[in-house]
Amino acid sequence: MNPQLSRRRFIKAVIASSVAAASSTGFHSALAQDRPRGAVERLISLNINGQTRRVDVAPQEMLAHTLRYKLSLTGTKISCNRGECGTCTVLIDGITNYSCSTLTHSVRSRAVQTVEGLQAADGTLHPVQQAFIDELSPQCGFCTPGQVMSAVALLNENPTPTREEARQAMSGNLCRCGAYDHYLNGVMRASGQSS
Amino acid sequence: MASFDVMPDIQLYQPVELDDALSLAERYGDGGWVLGGGQDTYGWLKDRAKNPQAMIDLSGIDSLRGIRTTDDGIEIGATTTLREIIRDERINRDFSLLAQAAGRVASPQIRNVGTLGGNLSQDTRCWYYRRGLACYRAGGNLCYADGPESMNREHAVLGASRCVAVSPSDTATAMVALEAMMVVASASGVRSIAAEDFFVGPATHITQMTALEPGEILTAVRIPSKWAGQRFYFEKVADRDVWDFALVSIAVAMRLEGDSIAESRFVCGGVACTPHRLKNVESAARGNSLSEASADAIAPLASAGAIPLNYNHFKLPLMENLVRRAMRG
Amino acid sequence: MNDYKLVGKDFTPPDVMGKVTGKAKYAEDFRVDGMVFARMYTSPMAHGKVTHIDASAAEAMDGVIGILTADDVPAVEAPNGAILTNSPAFIGDPILAVAAVDEKTAEDALAAIKITIEPLPFVTDPLDSLIAGGPDAREEGNVYARSREGSGFRTVKWTKEQIDDFRAGKEPTGEFAAEWKYGDLDKGFADAKVIIEENFVTTGYAHMSMEPRTAMAYWQNGTCYVHGSAQSHTFWMPGLARLLGIETKDLVLISENTGGGFGSKIGAYPIAALPGYFSKKIGRPVQLRVTGEQEYYMGSARVGFQGWIRMGFAENGKATATDVFIIEDIGANATGGDASSAGGAISLVYDPDAMRFRGLPVLTNTTPRGAQRGPGQNQIAAVMAPIMDKAARELGLDPLAVRKINAANNATTVYEEQRGVTSAYLEEALTMGAEMFDWENRRQQPKKNGSKVRGLGIGQGYHSAGATGFDGLIRITPDGKLHIHTGVGNLGTYSFASTSRAAAEVLKCDWENCEIHNGHSEKNLPWNSYQAGSVSTFAHTRTNYVAAMDALRKMKLIAADTMGGEPDDYDIDGQRVFLTENAAQGMSYGAIAARAIQLGGEYSGQTYPDDINEITQRSVQNLAGSGLVGVAKDNLPQEGTIPGLACAFVEIELDLETGKYEILDYVGIAECGTVLFPAGLAQQMKGGAVWGMGMAALERHVYDPQYGLPANVGYHQCGIPTYLDVPSVTRTGAVDIADPQNPFGARGIGEPAMGCSVAALTSAISDALDGHIFGRTPVSPDMIVNHVTGRDQSFLPLQTNNF
Repeated sequence: MNPQLSRRRFIKAVIASSVAAASSTGFHSALAQDRPRGAVERLISLNINGQTRRVDVAPQEMLAHTLRYKLSLTGTKISCNRGECGTCTVLIDGITNYSCSTLTHSVRSRAVQTVEGLQAADGTLHPVQQAFIDELSPQCGFCTPGQVMSAVALLNENPTPTREEARQAMSGNLCRCGAYDHYLNGVMRASGQSS
Repeated sequence: MASFDVMPDIQLYQPVELDDALSLAERYGDGGWVLGGGQDTYGWLKDRAKNPQAMIDLSGIDSLRGIRTTDDGIEIGATTTLREIIRDERINRDFSLLAQAAGRVASPQIRNVGTLGGNLSQDTRCWYYRRGLACYRAGGNLCYADGPESMNREHAVLGASRCVAVSPSDTATAMVALEAMMVVASASGVRSIAAEDFFVGPATHITQMTALEPGEILTAVRIPSKWAGQRFYFEKVADRDVWDFALVSIAVAMRLEGDSIAESRFVCGGVACTPHRLKNVESAARGNSLSEASADAIAPLASAGAIPLNYNHFKLPLMENLVRRAMRG
Repeated sequence: MNDYKLVGKDFTPPDVMGKVTGKAKYAEDFRVDGMVFARMYTSPMAHGKVTHIDASAAEAMDGVIGILTADDVPAVEAPNGAILTNSPAFIGDPILAVAAVDEKTAEDALAAIKITIEPLPFVTDPLDSLIAGGPDAREEGNVYARSREGSGFRTVKWTKEQIDDFRAGKEPTGEFAAEWKYGDLDKGFADAKVIIEENFVTTGYAHMSMEPRTAMAYWQNGTCYVHGSAQSHTFWMPGLARLLGIETKDLVLISENTGGGFGSKIGAYPIAALPGYFSKKIGRPVQLRVTGEQEYYMGSARVGFQGWIRMGFAENGKATATDVFIIEDIGANATGGDASSAGGAISLVYDPDAMRFRGLPVLTNTTPRGAQRGPGQNQIAAVMAPIMDKAARELGLDPLAVRKINAANNATTVYEEQRGVTSAYLEEALTMGAEMFDWENRRQQPKKNGSKVRGLGIGQGYHSAGATGFDGLIRITPDGKLHIHTGVGNLGTYSFASTSRAAAEVLKCDWENCEIHNGHSEKNLPWNSYQAGSVSTFAHTRTNYVAAMDALRKMKLIAADTMGGEPDDYDIDGQRVFLTENAAQGMSYGAIAARAIQLGGEYSGQTYPDDINEITQRSVQNLAGSGLVGVAKDNLPQEGTIPGLACAFVEIELDLETGKYEILDYVGIAECGTVLFPAGLAQQMKGGAVWGMGMAALERHVYDPQYGLPANVGYHQCGIPTYLDVPSVTRTGAVDIADPQNPFGARGIGEPAMGCSVAALTSAISDALDGHIFGRTPVSPDMIVNHVTGRDQSFLPLQTNNF
């Protein structure tokens, strides 16, 4: 069936108010009593790392905020919070996005993958993670989860990229330590093309 | 100032039909903010430098997305992402100028979600204006960028009128070169505007970058077949090769008859508040071949009429050099 | 060659796993019960006095927990930075903070606060302050000079003519605040065949670490727990305790991972103490996530230079004399010292026969300045490289030959005192690099191809790379494990781990059998150095060496006591102590540790040396009785400057029409003694190269002088280099000759790794442009286009903090 036809005509308006927005950060019971009245309408289901998570999301809320402050997924880092650095990179339906610049409400029906969702159930690292260890790719590590996610997205789509293709694909991730060379070595190793 | 960093309260609408988006746009008028990929939105809102009442998110409207063949060329839905444009076979074949320009926008992640409509409609990057100062463009009565000591390296050398901001869009130059038509809808109907008229300078409208009025939504861009498969040249000179906006860019479409240029469109970005057509270059180019000699002869015309500010006279030779490169063949 | 088991070998530092999985926790990743979120109001004015704060509307808002102002925190004397201030001296100076149940509510509250600030004169370019009648950045004066004789404000003005002459390239004749010299300068210049004279500007730009300086704090039973973004660990403790008004024993610092520092987080900075005060005031844990914009404001920036240099060279290229004058842009908070360090670097890297340094630190109402990767050394490296090239050209010599004849070696004497160096092999590094790069051959290649022209450059970097006198602390537990306690901070260089391996090397322990304890005061850490100045490798291989030697001594004593004979009769290997004569007779490390616990006293840390720091003492007290404890202060002999050296060779292809250039090849050679950790060294050399590329071409610091407004408050506007602005591959090598004053022969490298890069690039740009010297960093495309097309530059000569 055409999904366009099956979707009912619908305007989703998420009503904000300052009371509603003063919601709990979701981490500690001490604030639970501050949970606003009427926030239930903002409860949505998100598909994060293959799991359905029910979350209270303000209309203007950014995905990085939801992940970090409400779902305890602090592997996704916030640095510039402006789409200028890439530390908050996550995959949405397999494509890299800056989660600091993505409305959480816009990913309701989509699959979100964060760095926490890469390890196999038995703890085996994703090949990109393992390669980044083997090549000593990170320095300070703050940009690393974002670098990992960009590399994962690249290799999903292009399992054996050239180094130049990798460089282009990774280019939306800043590394202030300047570990670019070692990250590219990691991508090439993860693709089975040892650097 | 408070150095704000998180999104303030604002309503969010996510319509799935264009009509609903249009009625919301009409209802909110100035207070409505139409969202494409949002990449030029959230900074304004997080800074609280712009304070609309509601965001109208177009990303759920399927009819606004995709690349379609028309009787005379193609139509690209406004929420088609730059990623989709860069990867589209037909665009790469017929209108590679657009694919190239889109490929130089910001960063991969921004191209993944940034839409054509958003890239075309984005606001200027004048750093004074972006700081939320009450300049002409923000409704005030001063241009901070045009003072005797202003730091205006990235500002206009052409078409300034009180405001000296420039158009930051990489795809806008390509659209003007390709003679695209902008399809604009509102609750009262649909109009189409030539790309050249879609972008407006401060003399026309000092608080807007485009002809879009409150309540209007850019729904699609139509590129006529006129320039399909012709010779193109695109180049963007920026400080960094990721993220940065053009210091100067050029988008050129040329139709050659034999060795000589029968018709051409030369458009510079980063030099004026709109994509700037180099009409004297176009007319001088007619009948010329692509060669070092014609490049040398025509390039000096590129900066005609330019009036530099304190820190940007380099844009004049840079415009000339980019024309030279396009003419070299 | 050495026969080390660990030194010089690659390994996987224990923190890498957490970095690739996202499990590594940085300050902003911690949450505790009841925690609230703080946000700051920072000054919108470049200089002023807060006369009134009306926070009533904010305080009345739902979800707002409290407000902290300058009245709640200790006042500090100008020009030092305060936690919060009523006398802001730059745009972004923190004035107050609000705590609320979430960040948005805190920001809503900030929007409701009304602050009245009475404006004061301000200035953004040192020369605009120095000129007669120019504004002073502080009411107390426009110059703040730090010296051994006493530090203080003064007001220094030059005549308009003196400023104009300086801009015109003449020797500055105005007042200066610091001077040192050695040798006979007049004779040096008289001996010179060629004299080069240039003026120069190096823009001081922001550090912009990926992790902003977020902090979270709470109090428990009188102890303040601070989760911070710290470049060093135990070195932070006294400063942070002082900021908080408590003793170090009442402070717990947790900083296991830090998202970069580059000099901006060496010691505790004021804002790290804000959550502690706020938490005390409102009785809730407080997290202050510093925003990207605020990190620009208060995350500090490199000191900017405006200077003049005259340098003489003999016919063979030997530097005979250097006369250098540097005005430092020290921002509003007067940290610096870069200029004198730059002079020191000249005395070492180019080793002129005679030298004079003069300096003047001038305050501006711009971001606070602080040490940034090679503070002083790297600015001057960028300035010197094209000067060396010019000298070579005028003398008809190969630029490599001019570097070599002046290269620092074991006989080089440095600085004002002309003291010696521990060792130096810069010529060997140059030889190695030239070979890897194929310098000779590349010099013969054609330069021009259409609009593109190739440029070759050589750069040299230096920083003193060692410190002494810190403590080492290790422990062997009855399970046979070696525990290395380290107070070295984890800022991304892996030195906390690589230096810990020194202890395992001495004790011949399998690395798998070792555990590093770091990043948390409750892990009982020793007093260690700052992780800056490239000192960690030298300083902490030494501290771990002395601690391990102390443990070894004790193990042998225990073995002799238990099994008979003299301690010297015993040897170690395979984590056993045994009789050298009869390896079968011995005890495992575990058994020795168990015996140490029984014996008590110095063996298990009940007693310890008098000379260890009180922080180390407390750690030993806590660990006492849990194993055999090795603890000692590094009293190993040390004499002379400990140089970290590097050189780089680069080839660029510069497009004369766009002003852009591509880096075609980069070779960086480290001269840092014995290589301790090859992969880590490569990381430092390559990361340093990227930093140099940023300084040479991209990183800027722009202020509107009329409003005192910064134009570049984020990564985008600051121009931090991206993947596509640097080469995809950078090549590195190392000389690997042991330094005699380190037990393993190792010295540091982090800062020279950058200095050699920026210098190689300024050299290559000059080469591509037929020897033109811009005398300025960064060199941006507009400058190149203007030069090539014969146009004037847009800025005044020596102007700074501009595009």
